[in-house]
Amino acid sequence: MSIYKSAVDRPITTAMIFTAVIVLGIYSLVYIPIDLFPEMEPPAITVMTVYSGANARDIESNVTRPIEDALNSVEGLKEIRSVSSDNVSVVSLEFSWDTNLDEASNDIRDVIDLVQDALPEDVERPTIFKFSMSMIPIVFYAVTAEASYPGLEKILDERIINPLNRIDGIGSVSLIGAPKRTIYVEADPLKLAAHNLTIEQIGSAIQAENRNLPSGNVKMGMIDYQLRVEGEFAGSAELNDLVVSHFQGKSVFLRDVATVRDTLKDLSLVERIDGGKGLRMFVMKQSGANTVKIAREVKQAVNELKKDLPPDISINEIIDTSVFINQSISNLSETMLWAILFVVIVVRFFIGRWRATFIVMMTIPISLIVSFIYLFITGGTINVISLSALAIALGMVVDDAIVILENISRHVERGTTAREAAIYATNEVWLAVIVTTLVVVAVFFPLTLVGGMTGVLFNQLGWIVSITVVTSTVVAISLTPMLSSKLLGFRRKRKSGRFSHDVLIEPLHERMSAFYERIIRTALRNKKKVLVLSLLVFAGSLSLLSMVSVEFIPEADESRILINAECTTGMRVEETSSIAKRIERIIRSRCPEVQVMAISSGADDAGSMFSMFMRTGTNIINAMIRLVPVSERERSVWEIMEDLRAQLDSIPELIEYSVSGSSGGFGGQSTNTVDVEIYGFDFDITTGIAERLREKIARIPGAQDVLISRKDDRPELQVVLDRKKLAENGLNTAMVSSALRNRIAGLTATMLREEGDEYDIVVRYAERYRSSISDVESIPLVNHLGKTIYLREVGTVSEYWNPPNIERKRRERMLTVSATPAGISLGDLAGEISKLIDVTDLPDGVMIDVGGAFEDMQESFVDLGLLLLLSLILVYLVMASQFESFAMPFVIMFSIPFAFTGVILAMVLTGTTLSVIAGLGAVLLIGIVVKNGIVMIDYINLMRDRGLELNEAIAVSCRSRLRPVLMTALTTILAMLPLALSTGEGAETWRPMGLALVGGLLFSTAVTLILIPVVYALFCRLGERDKVARVRQKFTFLDESTKV
Amino acid sequence: MKAVMIIFNQTLRDRIEFIFDRLEIRGFTLWKEVQGRGSETGEPRMGTHTWPEQNSAALVVIADDMVDPLLDSVRKLDALNKEIGVRAFVWKIEQGY
Repeated sequence: MSIYKSAVDRPITTAMIFTAVIVLGIYSLVYIPIDLFPEMEPPAITVMTVYSGANARDIESNVTRPIEDALNSVEGLKEIRSVSSDNVSVVSLEFSWDTNLDEASNDIRDVIDLVQDALPEDVERPTIFKFSMSMIPIVFYAVTAEASYPGLEKILDERIINPLNRIDGIGSVSLIGAPKRTIYVEADPLKLAAHNLTIEQIGSAIQAENRNLPSGNVKMGMIDYQLRVEGEFAGSAELNDLVVSHFQGKSVFLRDVATVRDTLKDLSLVERIDGGKGLRMFVMKQSGANTVKIAREVKQAVNELKKDLPPDISINEIIDTSVFINQSISNLSETMLWAILFVVIVVRFFIGRWRATFIVMMTIPISLIVSFIYLFITGGTINVISLSALAIALGMVVDDAIVILENISRHVERGTTAREAAIYATNEVWLAVIVTTLVVVAVFFPLTLVGGMTGVLFNQLGWIVSITVVTSTVVAISLTPMLSSKLLGFRRKRKSGRFSHDVLIEPLHERMSAFYERIIRTALRNKKKVLVLSLLVFAGSLSLLSMVSVEFIPEADESRILINAECTTGMRVEETSSIAKRIERIIRSRCPEVQVMAISSGADDAGSMFSMFMRTGTNIINAMIRLVPVSERERSVWEIMEDLRAQLDSIPELIEYSVSGSSGGFGGQSTNTVDVEIYGFDFDITTGIAERLREKIARIPGAQDVLISRKDDRPELQVVLDRKKLAENGLNTAMVSSALRNRIAGLTATMLREEGDEYDIVVRYAERYRSSISDVESIPLVNHLGKTIYLREVGTVSEYWNPPNIERKRRERMLTVSATPAGISLGDLAGEISKLIDVTDLPDGVMIDVGGAFEDMQESFVDLGLLLLLSLILVYLVMASQFESFAMPFVIMFSIPFAFTGVILAMVLTGTTLSVIAGLGAVLLIGIVVKNGIVMIDYINLMRDRGLELNEAIAVSCRSRLRPVLMTALTTILAMLPLALSTGEGAETWRPMGLALVGGLLFSTAVTLILIPVVYALFCRLGERDKVARVRQKFTFLDESTKV
Repeated sequence: MKAVMIIFNQTLRDRIEFIFDRLEIRGFTLWKEVQGRGSETGEPRMGTHTWPEQNSAALVVIADDMVDPLLDSVRKLDALNKEIGVRAFVWKIEQGY
């Protein structure tokens, strides 16, 4: 019992089975998450350790190295990187793909427990985050407030951050620029000296007063009373009237020697949102979590939680990375709908009957829906790759159904009953249909075998196209005959209307076929000329190849701009902030497209989360800009960036800046830069090499944002103590350093408790007494004997330079020089840079590596090349066995190079760069091109077997196969056309693939139609007929019998 | 008693059976798939890739007076479309059991 006969005999069962498939598919569709790309960031874990007061070098040798050495043995570890900067060590670990993040983080916790003892005592416990440093936070909020501003941090922490942290998949929620209330007691050293007081004494006096102490019980009569001393300050104003000591019989009040300021903590980061005060809140997801899902949950939660906030606080999104993803996907889905419409029109045009068109169209939803079930089962997402895969498959899923349907209609037109026609006609062609499907699968299946980063991109595509095409074949040999048997009744010849298919379109088909037959006959008479001409065209297109530039993943207009600018190292935050305001004004005046802007200058607290993701420092300005959607503005994000760059050039204070448009291709995993990694221990040597390299790279036309990852050495003040003098004065280094710290950074004496919250009370010198080297040198130190000694008596203060951050990779110090291509492709830029490096002399112990997106790109193109080879071999195998011939597949594969000619032409004419995605389109062409070839060759063979002479067979077959070949090619081309023409969010990603496929197909279809028949005529003079004749020559028995 | 062998394109099977019913011919023997080609114009029906279509054959043994109505029906069936192809051949039956 064959599948098609069962299907025709049991129409209801068939209908039910496919209905079940559709229902399951729709169910799956509802639950499939959305993402931009398949999950391609490798599992990553970051270990952050805070060691207050240590500089980068101390951190590197005391914290980072022990942790790195210990973590190096964790299972599944692929790469280890670290950044040591002041106060903080950040070690990030990248794991291989199949690593379970939970297990890995447990392993890391064990290792950290072991290494903890080896770390210095004051080091805080390392914190483990399940995300990588290179990941961009998924949502940024701008929070502004009026009256509540001073208490903002506390309010947000309690009412927003804590509830948000409970959402599954959240890595962390952090604040930038949060104001902290602090009470400063700022002393005047001269008055202190006059009253014979020190900072420490004031501190202990304040601490001693700010006490609530239980003092026992008092029993009076029948009641037992508790006795308490209540001394805690009710408010900061009380401090002023505090008696700190007695001098010459009079009380010395705190106000006599110091001013009390109840204020916000000293500025080290100024955050301005749309020109006003505010702070930024950002949400990180865990490595591998779904951006869209988490962003949606976060937004829902924030909207809910917002209601409980004081009315003056407003929370606005600045950047929501999920918006771009959602818009891209809906844009692509819309494109798909257009593609489906085009396919319907093409099929209607060629078949000419609505009923038949309907039968063919039924394969589309079913085949596509099965891929949703696949995604649901494997936990995949709907993303640009999976949707593109569907778009590619779209043009192919109708092919099988068309072949079956055509044969059925042929029988029906002859007068056979629909039921019998359905069964026997399917029986006649179903094997051929399965073989062509095998060819397509042979091209796409190897995609599922590719490993690594490219593999992530292609595996899903390979599976989806394979599954969809196989499903379409199953549908074509079951549902299509069943529907045909019900819907394709015999039509009596009616009189055709004036605008019917028969009158308008049929003659057109006829004329087209006749014209094509004439061309073929001419070509067959001039075989050599045609061949030479084709080879010339191919060679010509290869020479154009040099004009096609190469890149990894096309950059998309994500409607956001990130600016990172650096002023002279060591610049005060107040100065930086005024420059930030200038930049803000420029942006406001130059770019009306700006929707929200947040700009921050300076660095947040030492050891804050933010410093892990962005370069911070008192001299650094970070701006984050959201633009209005692509459709509502005329300038692209690149034009705006170009404009801003020109403006930033005119600010002399900026020594370095970068303007970037996106978070980088894949969840921030890889940006579109060429990174030159310089490894070496000596800072001066490696920095020198980097500087020279930067200058040279900056001279390459098209190299932009050339940045060195190691920041300039920062001036630091160092107190150099004379131990001999210290000893003579009864002091030691520890005493001096703590005294200095108390006077300059401040001594946290106690806490002011108000409404259940505690605020630091910090005692220190007023600022004007600690703002020069001589001020520092005049700091009085008191020894055990109560004698005052000035710092300058025991040491000197000198300026020196120190690197503010130390990066390491593979446990070696390194720094990167990165360059972004502009108006030049990534590949070309990397080539130029490699040339520069080749001529650079390297000292011993220094190594240079070119990495970044370029490295990924190269790996991907190598993978693509191998893939191409594997596909070609598989396709050859399938075809050779189908035709039972070694030569036939070559004739068909002759058209493949011309598909690439078409791709090259499309790239050159439209000025598109060849990205991995466009390259992928080229690989896919093989399947489609070969399929068309098979249709032609198969029919020519058939005609020759039926006894036609070679050239006649070719001409007749070409005429008869023009329609199916055109139909297959046109359905695919038109399905791809909306992709190639689409604009809007994310279109940059898939447009190259659409263009590559459309160009390749147009060209290769033309080639298939003319060159393939000619090549066939040249190579396959001997047909089946000749083979049979040769065998029959051996049958001489009849002649022999007459002889005897 | 006459034997009539009808060789027909397998897509005509429903109609051949209908003819038997109509003429109240109860007994017949049917070969679902047979291969062959016509003597003059008939396209080969080989069930191969080159000639994918196939024939069926039916053998009926009927009374002499039934032969003409049967051949007449077959002729009408053939007239619907010559391409599909149906032929009938008659020969004598000596004996039967």
